[in-house]
Amino acid sequence: MNWWDDALHRATAEVVLAGALAGLIGVQVVLRRLSFFTMALTHATFPGVVAASIIGVNIMLGGVVAGAVVALGVAALTRRRGQDAAAATGVLLSAGFALGAALVATQSGFSRALSSFLVGSILTVGVPDVVTTAVVLVVVALVLLAGARPLVQIAFDRGGAEAAGLRLGAWDVVLLLTIEVVVVTLVPAVGTILALSLIVAPAAAARLWSDRLPLITALAVVFGVGSGLAGLWMSGQWNVAAGAAISLTATGVLLVSWLCTRLRTLLATTRSVVPA
Amino acid sequence: MTLALRYAGVSLGYQGRAVLTDVNLELRAGQRLALVGPNGAGKSTLIKSMLGLVPVLRGEAEVLGGERGRAGYVPQTDTLDADFPISVRRVVMMGRYRRIGWWRPARTEDRRAVAEALDRVGLADRASHRFGTLSGGQRQRVLLARAIAAEPRLLLLDEPFNGVDVVSQEAIVRVLRELSADGAALVVSTHDFAVARELADLVCLLNGRQWAVGPPAETLTAGPLRRTYGGSVVDLDNDMVLIEP
Repeated sequence: MNWWDDALHRATAEVVLAGALAGLIGVQVVLRRLSFFTMALTHATFPGVVAASIIGVNIMLGGVVAGAVVALGVAALTRRRGQDAAAATGVLLSAGFALGAALVATQSGFSRALSSFLVGSILTVGVPDVVTTAVVLVVVALVLLAGARPLVQIAFDRGGAEAAGLRLGAWDVVLLLTIEVVVVTLVPAVGTILALSLIVAPAAAARLWSDRLPLITALAVVFGVGSGLAGLWMSGQWNVAAGAAISLTATGVLLVSWLCTRLRTLLATTRSVVPA
Repeated sequence: MTLALRYAGVSLGYQGRAVLTDVNLELRAGQRLALVGPNGAGKSTLIKSMLGLVPVLRGEAEVLGGERGRAGYVPQTDTLDADFPISVRRVVMMGRYRRIGWWRPARTEDRRAVAEALDRVGLADRASHRFGTLSGGQRQRVLLARAIAAEPRLLLLDEPFNGVDVVSQEAIVRVLRELSADGAALVVSTHDFAVARELADLVCLLNGRQWAVGPPAETLTAGPLRRTYGGSVVDLDNDMVLIEP
């Protein structure tokens, strides 16, 4: 029997690749403080993949198009006087989700597919899904590596980056499209809604452990992959939904990291107050 | 001496609407120009136009004879993300990216330039610290070191003394004097008359338009300041005091 014929083998390969992918892009999301915006992207991806599935085209295409519409929508609403980015993002987030729900309601017998779009269906991933995730991982890693200096300078000092001749708009589009492609790629593993926690939690946890970007990136990838594997194992062990287990594990990693760093700060303060 | 800046009858603005008009100035290599005016006067707009980031609506603006890439910019520290995980050394290395290229690794000469720039602003011992852990004044000096590392012919500083302690202010003024002695032209925006008087060879008074340009002794006097600020300036023993409305 071929190794790939086993659903659990395919699922394992998929969570390793998806965890690494989420960890990599998560560092950019956390550094640029784009968590809420990414949440809107994940919710907007939902109607995109549902529509693509109804029409019968590639769900990645549908997700990317819907994500691009939201990115442009947020940009357009924010430009209007009196609208802030958070309000515009919030409105588009729930509107996107509502559109997805409305599209689902037009189809009979769609509830199973609905659940897989929302929270993933890791045990049903096929070899093409795994190959897609692997290819996207390589492409995203190359984009982030090639764009490392511009992306870091823009995230740290937008004004200085513009003065140094960087085209902010073009780099913003590159980053947002990369995030959207990652979100869509994560759909088979954790679904549109749970993708956010696998993107943000490992990177946010890694940020708590280090001030050095290469180490933060490496840790985020390790936490992402670890959350995926642990979630998959727990799902098999206790018969819980894999997407939810992966998402909860990632959140747990963030919580434990936060508690550890709090404890470390507390101990350091106590030591400096109480002389040995 | 070479001309670093030449603005003749320049109006600047966004989407066709002028926010600063009648700018006429010339700055030569080694000269220090202070842009003085109240908040919203157009100081930052003028600096951004020198970087090519604000369109010239009317008039002629020439920067470094077309070599705008040799202009360095020092932003205000409070526009930067203080939580960002980046070391002081890496911030200063950003000043070298235009020379290295965005993708090639740093060379020995780049690392040397970074070390020298940090030494010049008196922060060589902080190279491995996280940028955000430094005081406001030290951060401003790091940004100055970043600009120095780029070896600029024209250095543009946006309110470099805002929220800066006395030690850092003195360090910045000393370094700026050294840079201009080495031949760099400097443009510093400030609303502090004393700093402008101490630092600048030329002062440009701005408030929606250019009201005066010339040596501090001619421009930082009651008449031009009253015209610029709208009558809210009093002369106390040759020390100008601004009365907030």
